[in-house]
This record gives sequence, C-alpha cells and structure tokens, in this order.
Amino acid sequence: MRRLPLPLALGLVALLLGAALLAPWIAPHDPAATDLARRLLPPSAAHWLGTDHLGRDLLSRLLWGARASFGAVAAILALVLALGCAVGMLAGMLGGVVDAVLMRLCDAFMTVPTLVLALFMIGALGTGLGNVVVAIALSHWAWYARLVRGLTLSLRQRDHILAARVAGLSRLAILRRHVLPALAGQLAVLASLDLGHWMLHLAGLSFLGLGVAPPAPEWGIMINDARPFFRSAPMLVLLPGAAILLTVLAFNLLGDALRDRLDPALREHAH
Amino acid sequence: MLRRSLLRALPALTALPALARTAGAAAPARSTLRFSWPANAGPLHPHLYAPNQMYAQAMLYEPLLRYVEGGQLAPALATAWRAEPDGRGHVFTLRPGVRFTDGAPFDAAAVVANIRALLARPERHDWLALVAQIEDAEALGPGTVRLRLRGPYPPALMELALIRPLRFASPAVLRPDGGISAPIGTGPWMLAETRPGQHDLFRRNPHYWGGPPALEQVLVRVAADSNTRALALEAGEIDLAYGTDQLDADTFRRFAADRRFTTAVSPPLATRLLAVNSARFPTDAPAVRHAIARGVDRAALVRHVLLDTEPAAGTLFPENFPHADLGLRAPDFDRAAAAALLEQAGWHLAPGERVRRRAGRALVLDLCFTGSDALQKSLAEAIQGDLARIGIGARLLGEDSATCLGRQKSGDFGLIFAETWGAPYDPHAFLAAMRQPAHADYQAQRGLPMKDEIDRRIGAALAGTDEAARAEEYRWLLTTLHEQAVYFPISFLTNKLVHRADLGTVPFGDTRYEIPFDRILPRG
Repeated sequence: MRRLPLPLALGLVALLLGAALLAPWIAPHDPAATDLARRLLPPSAAHWLGTDHLGRDLLSRLLWGARASFGAVAAILALVLALGCAVGMLAGMLGGVVDAVLMRLCDAFMTVPTLVLALFMIGALGTGLGNVVVAIALSHWAWYARLVRGLTLSLRQRDHILAARVAGLSRLAILRRHVLPALAGQLAVLASLDLGHWMLHLAGLSFLGLGVAPPAPEWGIMINDARPFFRSAPMLVLLPGAAILLTVLAFNLLGDALRDRLDPALREHAH
Repeated sequence: MLRRSLLRALPALTALPALARTAGAAAPARSTLRFSWPANAGPLHPHLYAPNQMYAQAMLYEPLLRYVEGGQLAPALATAWRAEPDGRGHVFTLRPGVRFTDGAPFDAAAVVANIRALLARPERHDWLALVAQIEDAEALGPGTVRLRLRGPYPPALMELALIRPLRFASPAVLRPDGGISAPIGTGPWMLAETRPGQHDLFRRNPHYWGGPPALEQVLVRVAADSNTRALALEAGEIDLAYGTDQLDADTFRRFAADRRFTTAVSPPLATRLLAVNSARFPTDAPAVRHAIARGVDRAALVRHVLLDTEPAAGTLFPENFPHADLGLRAPDFDRAAAAALLEQAGWHLAPGERVRRRAGRALVLDLCFTGSDALQKSLAEAIQGDLARIGIGARLLGEDSATCLGRQKSGDFGLIFAETWGAPYDPHAFLAAMRQPAHADYQAQRGLPMKDEIDRRIGAALAGTDEAARAEEYRWLLTTLHEQAVYFPISFLTNKLVHRADLGTVPFGDTRYEIPFDRILPRG
C-alpha cells in the first residue's frame, strides 16, 4: 500500500500545533467565560461552532483544548525519552548487575497494563493534569528503555565506538557523541507512533475527570461534560471527538511516514 | 421458498420461551412493573443503613405513624396514640389483625422485640436523637405499647415515621447478633429474588392489611448510570424512572416533550445548597458572604442548568415544611450591589486585574464539588463565572465523593455543595445535626459569633414542651442562619418521574425516598 508522503503528515501536524500555540491570539472568546443565557447556541457569526451547555464558545474551547492536549503530550514525550534513554543507555553501557536490575525493573513495569498502571499512579499521586502526565510517562518509559538498551548494546561493539574507547574518550562522552545521535532516528519513529496513543490515553483519563481542573478546556473532559446533551446537541460531543481523531490520525501518519524514511530494515528492503 | 420461510422461522422458534414470558408479564393490566436503581436493594434489615436502599426498606417495613406531605402524621401500624402527661411516655394502640409476611402476628411483643434489638446497639444510631432518648418499650396489652423516653422530646413522633431505623421485622427473623435471617415485614411487598448486579424482584403481599397492591410484581434492574436508564426507558426495557437524579435535566425535558411519555415533578422535598464557610478566609467576612448571596444569579442556574425541573430556593427549608413558613426571602440578584458591598468592605479591583484584593490578599476561595457529578460540575462552573464577574476568584476542586465528604467533615472548603435531608428529617433532625462537628453545617457556622447561642437554641427547639416557645426558637434559628448567609440555597430538590403514557397513574410518595409502588394503578 502506498503511504501518504511525509510532507502531508508534517503539514497536518504543523496545522494542529499552530492552532494550539496560537490559541490565546486566535481564539475569538475567553474559553472559560460562561453565559447561561446563550447556552447550546447553533453556529453563528459570533460563535463559529456554537456554544456549550454553559454558554461558552466551542471553537475557543477546542483551540485552548488543543493547547492542553499538545502541551501534555509534549511533556509526556520529554519525560519518557529522558527516562527511557537514561535507563536504557546506563543498562546497555554498564551491563552486569546494573543491567540486570534495571531490566527487571522494566519487566515489572511492562507486566501491568498501562491503563491500570496509570490509574494506580493517579490514585497515589492525586488528580490533575501534571499528575496524569507523570502517570502516563511512568507507565510507558519501559519500552523505550528496552529499545535504547538493545541499540546501545549493538552499538557498543561497533568499530568506531571501540576506537573511541581506545582513544580514551570517557563513557559519558561516547554516549553523548556517538550513541545518542545514532539512536535519534529510531526513537523518533517509535515516539511519533506513540504520540497518538498517548493522546488517546490522556483524553481517556481526562474523560474520567482525572485530568485538567475545571473550567480549563481539554478534549476528553469536553466530551464527558457534553454527554448529557448528546441527544439535543450532538456537536458538543462530536467536535472534540473529531479533534482527537484528527490529531491521532496526524501523528500516526507522521509516524508511518517517518518509519518509511528512517527505519533501516525497511530501507534495506527497498533496495 | 419453503427453505427460506423455515429459515426465517428458526430464530422465532428459539425466541418463543422469552416471548411467552414477556407476554405473560404484560398481559392482564401489566402486572409487573420494571424499575431501575443504581444498586441492589441490599440485605434489607429494617434497622440498618447502607447498603440497604431506603426505597426498598420502605416497601417491606412500616412505621407506627407515617409522614404526610405538609408535616402531618397519619396512622400506619398504630391506629391511635397519646402522650402521657409528663411528656416522657407515648402510648400506641396497634392496628388489629396485622400479620408479618411469615404469618407471625404484629403485636405489642413484636414492637418491643424490635425496639430492644435496636437499643442493644445504640452506637449504630448516634446520629438520631430519638434512639438515645428511648429508655424502653413495654407491652401494656397485646395491642398496646408504651414507649418511655428519658426526657420530653417532642420530635419523637416525627422520627418514628422515618424509613429507618424504627420499623419492624418479624420477631422470628431477629438474630441475637443484631442481624436478620430473612427480610420479613408487614408492608405491601415481599422480596422474592435478588441477583447481585442484575436485579431485585418484589412480589405483592396478598394479605396486606391495606389491601394488596394493584401490581403483582416490581422488578428493579440495576442501572448505575442515568444515560443507561434513559435508553432503557426509551427502549421499553424499564417502565418507570422515579427519583431526584435518576435522569439528568436535559433528558427529563426531552421526555417531557415526547407525547409517548408522561412526566411529573413533585412538590419540594429537600434543598440543594452551597454551604459557605464562615470560619475560613475569605468567607469569614460577612460582606463576602452577602456579596455571594447577591452576586450569584440563582434564577439563571435554575432556568439554564436545572432546566426548570426544580424550583428556585430562597431559604434553607421549603415553606411547606414544619416551622419553616417564616416569610424569609433571598436577596435579589444584583451584581452592582454585590460589587458595592465588596468595595465598602475594602476589597478593590486593581486595573487590569480580575480578582479583588484587600491588604495584598486576593479574594479567592475554594469551591468544592463531586467531580463525577455532572450537574454539580455544571453548577460549579456557572457559579464560578458569576463570582468572577464581581471580582471573586473561585478555585474549582472536583474530587471523588469520599474526598468531598471528608472536606464537609473537616471544614476544608470555602463553598461546598450539600443537600438537606428532606422531610421528615427537616427541619428538626437537620438542625440537631448542626451541633455535630462532623457535619458541613457545623463547619460552615463555626465562625459565626453566635454559634454557641445557635447550638443552645437548637437544644431548646428540640426539647421544649411549649409549642409556642419552640416555634419562636425555630423562627430565631432559621432567621439568623438566613441573615448570616452561611448557606446559598440553589433549588428545592424534587422527585421527577417518567413513564410511558399507557402505564397508568403513578402518584408521588410523601417523602423523598419513598416510592409508592403500592398505589400505582396500571391501566386496563
């Protein structure tokens, strides 16, 4: 099957990211300003997508919701990469007991389903967007640690690394200069495929009321809030749902496109 | 052709037994009513609390006297009663010929056995003043019982009407360990079957003293969620929705506009309110409390969030409750006046700021609600919007119900959602509980300069024997609480019912938790 080309996927992500970044300037209304007299309005010139059950502008809430979702996913990404790379490279580079202990720790995290683990952590940490981000990151880093360790192990035997070691370069410097750049491509592929998954995770936990504090908008909680009005105002559910769908789709397309570009196995296949 | 018709007949054949069952249930004047409830009915002990469901306890067990709308008492298992001159004894004449559903007679010995079982474990009932007041019960004859109290306690008769704990199970099922071996009462219904997580089935008591109910059975399905309930009602899987929050307001309004369904809203049963913490910054200042009372648009909340399914509440108790008809009125909604109150009290809004400050301290409070309760959340967000317009910042804290309850008990809130208990607890038992630190009301009132006097006068209102003096205490108490603005009443809770128009007539119960299944008259 022919996949969508990379520029298209990048363009879609850039569009959504732009909306999120520019929300404070392009949103036509304050997303938290309630006006009960103007509730559940259909789309109009003043409210392009209409208003929700408390009279808040839906378009503004969607834009600000993108901000919350993208910000949270970026934070999850940073946390997962930091934790995964640190643990994986440490295990791969040092080997021995350190490796064994860290990998058993990974096993422990990988045995529990991620959603259950995340719910457990939120139970321990408390609700709130920050805690949800930490919980999702902590339930997903182990796969990255595994991947990084494997790649580090195989890289360690390469000639140029051996040469660097013989030349007296410290382990830290080797990791920084030679291992990390070599991992970047693989990690980019894996992460871009996971971004959509995290976005869904986030929306799911937020739907359960564990994420952002009201009245801050977020797509998952917007769907939950609108549930009682599904029959009379279905757009309140469908629009945030469509936003989640589009974003997850964009990330997955990006991930696929990146894999086609960067994955060495696929590249060799193409030759 | 033949094969096709055979094929078509096949699923119909397998569906036959199911068909026969539904047809049998629906045929003669719809003898089974299908209802739904968030949880199973529980073990149905007449003297105990959760997980026993009150609606089901009220189906099986009956009181000596029952509460009727408006605050009066009517005969139930007792046909007559009189107070002894010292105010400490009450003598009840029991209804003759009443039997428990196991055949045992309901007589003075049964009443004494139940009350002694209750008194054996008083720690279960410390919330209810009456249980601590009862000294003993004695049989004066087979059909006459005397209840001895430790002191005069005029609300005693009202508390005898409660759904729990003062109702009666057959003495044969009362176990020495405080449990019951089977749920056997005198009421119009008997428990026929319980399937955890699925349903409870009640069958009518054919020998009920008040005449057997028109319905033969009531099947109560377990449905935790209001959306599920609405869909089941629409699909004809249940016949009736009845309760305060069984359906959300938007769904109720949709059914009300649908001609296939009959809907009704009951008179006020209790009050939905916000408790305002007088012991904590910034609501410790009367000006802030009064500004909240004037600055939140109650009419808009009722019209646009509750969708007019509940009347607006201006007072702590509805005026159809005893001692509550005092002519108190909530201050009119007036944003400018609310802002002026805050200005006068020294709270000023700096240019470009959204929240007022006084001496460098921001006017910000915590508004606590149950996060999973969609209605509370909508109300909280709307109230936050109103408060923001007069320069009060409200932090919304939506938490699980246990945390929320913990905040009510510890006083860790600025504003918190609460409900009064409804008749026949309101107003006297609700006022009595205001003296207990483990209640949001105590916490809300703790900062009032006259809290000691409030507690003392509650005692006087409950224990006094002079009716006029008691009425005067109630007047002072309710007026003071009203003037101090430690409550922001939102609306009066109502029961809402929805059923298919062809079901028949469904009346409302006299109290919030009673569902009068025995008075439902199916059409046909």
